[in-house]
Amino acid sequence: MIDTGENREASCDVLVIGAGFGGSAAAKICADAGLTTILVERSENVGEKIISGLTIPFHGFLFGPAFIRDGTPPIERPVDGIENYIIKDIETNDIDIDDSLKVPKPFSPVFAVGYNAYCKAFCEWEAEEALQSGVQLKTSTTVVDVIRKNGRICGVVTEHNEKIQSKIIINAEGSHGLLAIKAGVREKYPPDTISLADVYVYDMDKKDIDRIFGFSLKFCWGWDEQKVAPPLGHGNGLMVWPYDASLHLMQDQCLRKDEGPVYNVAKALKDYHHNITSKLPWWRDEVGPRVKLKARMWDGFEIFVGLNERLRNMPNFTDGMLLIGDAAGLENTELCDGVPTAWFSAEIAAEVAIEAISNNDTSAEFLSRYNDRIKAHPIIQWAITSTNRYNLRYAQEDHDEKKLKKYIHEGWGIGFCMHGSTPLSKIVLSFLKKDPLVIGKWIRMYLRYYYNWHHQHFEDASTAVDPGCKKDALRLSAGLRFMDRVLSAFGPFIRLLARLMEPLTEAANPLMKVVFPFVSPIYLRLIKRWDALMEPLSKRVVRAVAASDPSIFDVRTTWRRDT
Amino acid sequence: MIRSFKDIPGVEWVPGTGRFITVDPDTCTGCANCVKVCLGECYELTDKKAVIKSLDRCMECGACWYVCESGAISFSWPKGGTGFRTEYG
Repeated sequence: MIDTGENREASCDVLVIGAGFGGSAAAKICADAGLTTILVERSENVGEKIISGLTIPFHGFLFGPAFIRDGTPPIERPVDGIENYIIKDIETNDIDIDDSLKVPKPFSPVFAVGYNAYCKAFCEWEAEEALQSGVQLKTSTTVVDVIRKNGRICGVVTEHNEKIQSKIIINAEGSHGLLAIKAGVREKYPPDTISLADVYVYDMDKKDIDRIFGFSLKFCWGWDEQKVAPPLGHGNGLMVWPYDASLHLMQDQCLRKDEGPVYNVAKALKDYHHNITSKLPWWRDEVGPRVKLKARMWDGFEIFVGLNERLRNMPNFTDGMLLIGDAAGLENTELCDGVPTAWFSAEIAAEVAIEAISNNDTSAEFLSRYNDRIKAHPIIQWAITSTNRYNLRYAQEDHDEKKLKKYIHEGWGIGFCMHGSTPLSKIVLSFLKKDPLVIGKWIRMYLRYYYNWHHQHFEDASTAVDPGCKKDALRLSAGLRFMDRVLSAFGPFIRLLARLMEPLTEAANPLMKVVFPFVSPIYLRLIKRWDALMEPLSKRVVRAVAASDPSIFDVRTTWRRDT
Repeated sequence: MIRSFKDIPGVEWVPGTGRFITVDPDTCTGCANCVKVCLGECYELTDKKAVIKSLDRCMECGACWYVCESGAISFSWPKGGTGFRTEYG
């Protein structure tokens, strides 16, 4: 007899809905704190319904849940920068390039600005981590409604009429928010805040990707009349992500512009794909002949929600329930990558859930501290209110090339430091204040991630080493040990420095705005020559990392040594 | 039986979803917004009303639901473990 779960009842301390990037992280943190935690997921296998072209930015890894930073998640390729193709006329190949956002050598490619990943593999890894912490995972389980007791949400009902009672719910159901709408907590988003993403995945030889892309993403931006990418400021644009041995091409467009008519997106997306693949020189001549279509898929997700005051202020908590990630409107409006904000909010929600259960109070009044912490998180607030992507529409309206280049430079070029310096410096200092040794964990994370990607080995760390580079690997190992000693010795000083510098962080963005116009042209002129000079050292760093004993990147080992 | 389509490689559909998207013909205004945004070509207009031809190629993106100004389209998740799935998202 098939067990449909009908009329069964289960109970737990914390119920997490949705085993996506945020859900599994929240569940693991709660379980690690000793709470009985159930994680429900509507798909049969975790991650098989999550669609994205995906670069998870560095700040998600550095400042997100420690188990991800200190772990071995499956990544497809480190990213060291972005090449922006500004297409003024596709027919005459009148195209400018802004490739100013690039990690300089010898830090590139080991020290990345982000990591590409397949959603399914990554989410499976996170769910596996949650299971190891004692989370009970229920897949193939669609939640259809909440259960209330005295007006307070205290559980859910599944499609099989199974009731799961819980002290608190962490809702990680994603953009559509069906459960939150049904519970009367949030509203359906308007079509101008929903972008329809059309994703093509191509197989490509790794050597060809290394040669054509290296570690850089390629973004394409064109005037609307060029019909090579979604309208400026009304969707993401068109992007190509290099993975290990495949490419992701994603184009996405909002369903309508402001209050205007709904676009014929089905036709438009086909046209962009045809035009870009048949007319853009590097795709037509270099990529096109070397790829084979492996998958095509699409999904709708929120965009620009944080720029609309009414939508931004929709509740992210209620009696007995906290909402995280996309379910709480925490997409990254500029990068269109909601993973870091999902992780940050998952961690905050888990902390609040633990406090609420410990205080035996899951009332909205108690849970309001979750909203306070979300509002105080510098990266979340930066992510949901950045305006460069949205502002591209004004460049189109005025057909102003200068404006177009400015927004691209400040959004996906080195100019991002004029609006990113304050939030980034705030969060860095907040971490250093708590634990100066975190610097060692950050550096080891970069080295471990690169090592794992290089060897395509994400579970067992024992891999053959290259004897030719053993000397450099030993130097690297000695360098890390030296770094640990320095950090331990200067820890109190670093902590004090972080405290002293904290009040200055508000001045970081204004300062960059003043300095940047003078410094930037000099930097960009020198960096190409610098990179050429540093190329041999960069290769040496890569060889040393790849030839190392991976245990030297293990943070837990280091912790044991420190303590 | 699990379905796939040649023009949508890398994606499979597990049957048994139930009618997770429905159109109320009395409320539908025939604006065809759903037809314009559905990449799975699930919709058609018949007698000035939106009709779901088939949900076989639906990827649960919700676009039709978002653009339905009259509220005629109801959207829910398919039954657990059914609907589309992919390794490459």
